[in-house]
Amino acid sequence: MSTLPAVTSNNPAEQLYERVRSHGIDFFVSVPCSLLGEVIEILEGDTEVTYTPVTREEEGIGVLAGAYLAGRRPAIVMQNSGYGNIVNAVCSLVNYYSIPIVMLVSHRGSAGERIEAQVPMGDAVQGVMEASGVKCVPIAHPSDLDGVDEGIEWALAEEKSIAFLFPFSFWQDAETYVPEHR
Amino acid sequence: MRRYEATREIMNAIGDELVVCNIGHPSQEIFKLRDRPENFYMFGSMGLSSSIGLGVAMAQDRMVVALDGDGSVAMNMGTLATIGLVRPKNYMLVIIDNQSYGSTGFQRSFTADNLRLEEVARGSGVESVVAVHRETEIAPTVTRLLKEDGPHVLVVKCEPGMPDGIGVIPIDGMEVRNRFMAAAKPG
Repeated sequence: MSTLPAVTSNNPAEQLYERVRSHGIDFFVSVPCSLLGEVIEILEGDTEVTYTPVTREEEGIGVLAGAYLAGRRPAIVMQNSGYGNIVNAVCSLVNYYSIPIVMLVSHRGSAGERIEAQVPMGDAVQGVMEASGVKCVPIAHPSDLDGVDEGIEWALAEEKSIAFLFPFSFWQDAETYVPEHR
Repeated sequence: MRRYEATREIMNAIGDELVVCNIGHPSQEIFKLRDRPENFYMFGSMGLSSSIGLGVAMAQDRMVVALDGDGSVAMNMGTLATIGLVRPKNYMLVIIDNQSYGSTGFQRSFTADNLRLEEVARGSGVESVVAVHRETEIAPTVTRLLKEDGPHVLVVKCEPGMPDGIGVIPIDGMEVRNRFMAAAKPG
């Protein structure tokens, strides 16, 4: 269904964004993370999508649910700690009304983390996602991005939300790219 | 004037706008007063009525009215910052301020003491902020604001309490969702 040009970038953020956009995802909210800085910069510059930052992830889930009810295809860009802020909204709004939200989630606390306090939520997040009924797909490297295509197609067809987890390895391993935001 | 009377005045003044209704008794009252496919009844996720309404407004051009309560807005106060940032012209947030958490037994809420949501809305960058105290002011104010570019925040000051025998909403979440989505579809 993609009408966008083939992916040519070695930049993980650009590769990820092009994959997501190729599925017609056209409405985004974000809460910052150092790993996601470049994705958010790309978002801010894309005049083809509706986008706003939000103060807290839970608020963002409400905004995205509204967007889906009005016919759009929504996604949130957030750190894994943010998942802890949205569990009730996921269960009683998103799952209850069968609203497919694509969650692009940086995985702090994964291998390479320097801040010890990020590790407990990093360890817990996948289990919390699964316990709250959201399929979790880890994407360890840009070469695994086909998993994003398959996951988004599944989510839109089933009207279920899906989370993609991007650990440090996803952002660091591209041969020609060294992220500045850390 | 209680929330029920205030809501009756608001719903009487509304035309074909899309309406997002707050969790609990407020949705039940609106269902009883004026059920329509353009109403989205939020059965869970306390605090997110204003956010859902904002998303609907950002996603399409029709006017959207989000009906919320003072306790719910206090639970998700960042919503005012986002409304003040995005400033959608087709959005009105109505805060029924009865200084209490009505659906859980009318426990005292923050606006009973020091919280002034009108001031938070203004401080968040919303220019059109109106507070009404009398029942007769509500319908003319809603009618006027709906004709002007938003975003608007309308705070309706009420007494706590509700009528007996309102009853639950007899349709389920998927039906609420599907008929709202059909009503919100462009064209």
